[in-house]
Amino acid sequence: MDVTVLDRQQATYPLELFASSVPLFQSYLGSGPIVELKRPEAYLGGDGFHEFVYFPVGGGPEFGDSEKLNLVPPDAAPGYCISRTSSCQMTAFHAASMKEEREDMILEKMESTTGSGSRESFTKRKVVADHKSKDKRIKSEVEGESEVKTKCSTQVSRNSSKENSKACEVQKPDYIHVRARRGQATDSHSLAERARREKISKKMKCLQDLVPGCNKVTGKAGMLDEIINYVQSLQRQVEFLSMKIAALNSSVEFNVENLPIKEFPAYVANFPAAAKLPAMPNLTCFQLNPMQKEAVNCMLNETIHPPLTATEGIASASVSIPEQALSSSTITLQPFSTWNMDPQGLYNVYDMGFH
Amino acid sequence: MNNPHHLNPTSLKSRFTTRFLRALTKIRAQKPISSSSPTEIFRRYRRIKVAADKSMAYSVRSRRIWSRAMLWKLRSRSYRRQDPCSGRRSGKTNQAIMKKSSNENTTTRREDGVGFVEEADELRQLVPGGETMNLCNLLDETAHYIKCLTTQVQLFSPIGKG
Repeated sequence: MDVTVLDRQQATYPLELFASSVPLFQSYLGSGPIVELKRPEAYLGGDGFHEFVYFPVGGGPEFGDSEKLNLVPPDAAPGYCISRTSSCQMTAFHAASMKEEREDMILEKMESTTGSGSRESFTKRKVVADHKSKDKRIKSEVEGESEVKTKCSTQVSRNSSKENSKACEVQKPDYIHVRARRGQATDSHSLAERARREKISKKMKCLQDLVPGCNKVTGKAGMLDEIINYVQSLQRQVEFLSMKIAALNSSVEFNVENLPIKEFPAYVANFPAAAKLPAMPNLTCFQLNPMQKEAVNCMLNETIHPPLTATEGIASASVSIPEQALSSSTITLQPFSTWNMDPQGLYNVYDMGFH
Repeated sequence: MNNPHHLNPTSLKSRFTTRFLRALTKIRAQKPISSSSPTEIFRRYRRIKVAADKSMAYSVRSRRIWSRAMLWKLRSRSYRRQDPCSGRRSGKTNQAIMKKSSNENTTTRREDGVGFVEEADELRQLVPGGETMNLCNLLDETAHYIKCLTTQVQLFSPIGKG
């Protein structure tokens, strides 16, 4: 999952930002924490990322004694959180110990990565970062510009500050942990809204798996339309099939109580219709003579008129086609067996009967 | 076609199958099948459709909102058919309550803050009992309803095909 997150982040942000910033960290941090450090870089992009990270880098006053390692995110991998904390701590220390020219370079690079970010969230993070006494101490150790140090601290701890701003809100009630996006409001109403939206999108994904052909449509509205069409088609299918069962002139008695469930298909196959179906395509008793067609028409009128939906194309088509079928000659048996297909096949049936 | 899905005796499919087949035999036993007039066929079709709905709703019991709504609808319909004056108090009060709640929910436009009001309303009309659901529950119920409908279709096609 982390990899996919990184890919997503890289997709949203221009690649050169990542390319510029990550190797720099790699260069002075050694090979070990590179992989972990990439993720804070990933967080610099920070949108659409709903993993909860509870992240006091400096152990600010609002977190009390909470050791950072004890704070495990509910759904993210704990190792991820720990590695991030360790890496950020390392960066803090390294920021304290690094030389000036390197620091300037890195600061430049970091500013370039965050230059496109929103200013107001940046200032908010700055304010929150001021609470971190430890970071400030580290930064003050380094000779030179204190303002640059705070900037650097905000850069380094921007991820933590985001969670801190969130954590301040969420810590006490300790309910659903949702990550705030950059520049988004963090009051309780929007939190709840966001949580609801996430639930709904999760359910839409489940529905997408159920409904065939939903992958091509993008956007929730289109998917909902697809779902509506699918439910309508299923309902119509059930009605057509029950109509078919009603129309079947079969006198086979099957004893349901003695019926073993596994042998159900065998019993069903004992319908005499099964034997007759392939043999005589123009069997009179199965032909929809005009009387039976009227029955079909009644049924169709009943089923079509209730679901008056916005899908007028399908509705009007299904209304017009039976009229054509009625005016035509008899519908033969061959199309009858294709009624098991989707409504599209059904319309083909009527077309065939028409010609 | 061989359906190896009936191995689990307690699954939804097997429950629905037994119930529906029982109802089907009852329907076939009621009327002689010699007549093939359209009204006869239509009447039988109605009965079969009701039997299918009923057996599906009873298979799901009251675990789902849509099955509860469907069961309620079937019961109220049978009450009305038995006693057109509707002397049953409980049915009447239930009906009144249901109507009131559904009216309230349909007149007050459900703005869930997500912005899919028209599609959601359409879906509510399709899924039984959908008027009283918010979007979250509606999606859950839709998923289960789709599953049950596909079960029905899978069951009917071998019967229909023969």
